[in-house]
Amino acid sequence: MGCSSSVPDRSAGRLGGVNPDNGGANDPKNLRVKLVLLGDSGVGKSCIVLRFVRGQFDPTSKVTIGASFLSQTIALQDSTTVKFEIWDTAGQERYAALAPLYYRGAAVAIIAYDITSPESFHKAQYWVKELQKHGSPDIVMALVGNKADLNEQREVQTQDGIDYAEKNGMFFIETSAKTADNINQLFEEIAKRLPRPTPPS
Amino acid sequence: MSSRSPTTTLDDEEEALEEEAESPVQLNAINGSFSEEIVAEGDDDFVEDQHFESNSKAESSGVNEEISYTWRNVPEIDEVERPLSPGSSGYAGEMGSTSGGDEINDDDEDNSDIREVEFDGVSGSQSQWVSGKRHADEDDASVSWRKRKKHFFILSHSGKPIYSRYGDEHKLAGFSATLQAIISFVENGGDRVNLVRAGKHQVVFLVKGPIYLVCISCTEEPYESLKGQLELLHGQMILILTKSVNRCFEKNPKFDMTSLLGGTDAVFSSLIHSFSWNPATFLHAYSCLPLACATRQAAASILQDVAGSGVLFALLMCKHKVISLVSAQKASLHPDDILLLSNFIMSSESFRTSESFSPICLPRYNPMAFLYAYVHYFDIDTYLILLTTSSDAFYHLKDCRIRIESVLLNSNVLSEVQRSLVDGGMHIEDLLVEPTSRAGAVSSHLGQPRPGVSAPGRMADGFVGGIGGPAGLWHFIYRSIYLDQYVSSEFSSPINSLRQQKRLYRAYQKLYSSMHDKGIGPHKTQFRRDENYGRSFLFYPVALRMN
Repeated sequence: MGCSSSVPDRSAGRLGGVNPDNGGANDPKNLRVKLVLLGDSGVGKSCIVLRFVRGQFDPTSKVTIGASFLSQTIALQDSTTVKFEIWDTAGQERYAALAPLYYRGAAVAIIAYDITSPESFHKAQYWVKELQKHGSPDIVMALVGNKADLNEQREVQTQDGIDYAEKNGMFFIETSAKTADNINQLFEEIAKRLPRPTPPS
Repeated sequence: MSSRSPTTTLDDEEEALEEEAESPVQLNAINGSFSEEIVAEGDDDFVEDQHFESNSKAESSGVNEEISYTWRNVPEIDEVERPLSPGSSGYAGEMGSTSGGDEINDDDEDNSDIREVEFDGVSGSQSQWVSGKRHADEDDASVSWRKRKKHFFILSHSGKPIYSRYGDEHKLAGFSATLQAIISFVENGGDRVNLVRAGKHQVVFLVKGPIYLVCISCTEEPYESLKGQLELLHGQMILILTKSVNRCFEKNPKFDMTSLLGGTDAVFSSLIHSFSWNPATFLHAYSCLPLACATRQAAASILQDVAGSGVLFALLMCKHKVISLVSAQKASLHPDDILLLSNFIMSSESFRTSESFSPICLPRYNPMAFLYAYVHYFDIDTYLILLTTSSDAFYHLKDCRIRIESVLLNSNVLSEVQRSLVDGGMHIEDLLVEPTSRAGAVSSHLGQPRPGVSAPGRMADGFVGGIGGPAGLWHFIYRSIYLDQYVSSEFSSPINSLRQQKRLYRAYQKLYSSMHDKGIGPHKTQFRRDENYGRSFLFYPVALRMN
């Protein structure tokens, strides 16, 4: 991918990455999880996060540099709270080689594509393979087809998304950051699927 | 040029097609040695006096290698010779487009019409600068593209386009190949091409390993300035990718680099824009936001605290000005790196949305490796940059930022910064000669009260008791080599219009480059004049180099 040689070797082998200092997730009622968003540039990763965290949508495109960090806490019906610490990564090719910095140690990965762009769907599959190889073994992965409001320009069929997600043990949903469709559902569904730490006996 | 914000300058990207008169050369350099100046201006006593004053300052000061430029008028002289411009053959004309008289006037220092000047100050709509790629629909076949006054290109040694200021890079493949052919033709002869002059156009080349940078300009800027701009453009690319991108070309000479720079058009266009308003781009020095000493110390001490703990550089900035800057032991930050880093951060909107952690390379510090930058905006103008070599330092840096933020809030640094920003920089009218009256005129954010005078009133004060005002000093830039810093006054009457400000900027640029010209210089003192500021005024910027 791109300019992989530009990553200093010293950081590649290091464990930990940008992880919370402590696990923090030991309390079964107050979970704290690291979530990473991956996908091609322009599929709307930042828009999904900003819709979820701030309830905003900004149609002017703002290219993410490196990765932005945001957090949001949600409460589930069983009175558990889940604090998502979200790494919204840049989709540009030059950052691809640096992605391990952000996905290392992540409990959740959202892999997003644009339903009007088969190329971005292809890129999503690249990220799924990359995470299967190098991500945490028990990582929860969600495949997200964004820009569902642009249904007339759709080029990736919903069924293709469902099929690919099923084959790879992922959760699938189509969202629209613009209309807020399915955004909260996406994060709630992820929260439900998180492995719960066993309460101390 | 502290009063010019990047969005309100008269840039070379003016949309409007303006009539460009065949204007005379504005700046008539009378540089050289002291005796030459006497000969050249022998009929003008004022100049002589001015000169002696400058020289005596130089001798009395013990500080080495400091430079200051001033800009004075000589009201008693009405008429001067106006040398006419040597040639009028335009690049656009030679390329076969329409007559040379209607270039797209994007670097419009050349308008000598005094009547127009008065309208400039209020024409705010045309001075709004928009970042990002514009005119992307153009290519080298477009008439409008050919008429742009200043082009920048980055291409690979195989002739593949990497970046173009105007037009779509991919459509410019043929043009890029031509530039590459010129460079390699000369290289094959065992030589190197630096500059080609064609009519009033200059084509400046810079070869950086497998990366070629080219500027085509008819702005009359000196070659050294344009070359320096290409160096900065290359530095900006290194900041994003590091120099190890060169290895991609070793593996594959036909490597296409455009995708690696995806989404960075705004970074490059904002840098190129700053070439026409930010003196830091040619002075290689940074400027500080004026603040009371105690306020700056409060900021510095908390930055110093965190710098001990694995932070290589900690910078607190307000727009393009430094509030405080601290580096870990033995590390030093080059002013060009500060310029490129702040340009990168300010032109990338995503940094404003949330805190971020990104790989960044400082070309002057180490062009081969990434550092990691934690960036956080405290308010719309003020931001913190913490640089580290450790890729897992994010949570530590986040904690550092929380500590810094609480100190800055408790000691009112952030509100003082906002006040300083509103008050602006140093005003010539406030520079009073009498030490007793000086205290009262210092801006309020510097801790002392400023007399409640309106702008015209203040100007009158300067006229009577100070060195500023319409009859005295109009503007200055002072650069300290020792500190790597410069300070400049705000633009004030009569340098009101953006056009005049840009012309002054260009005059400083020329002055700086001629003072550092190894061929004929360096000069200690030189005078230049510009007779386009009014019928009854003649201006003498004075440059002084002490060493």
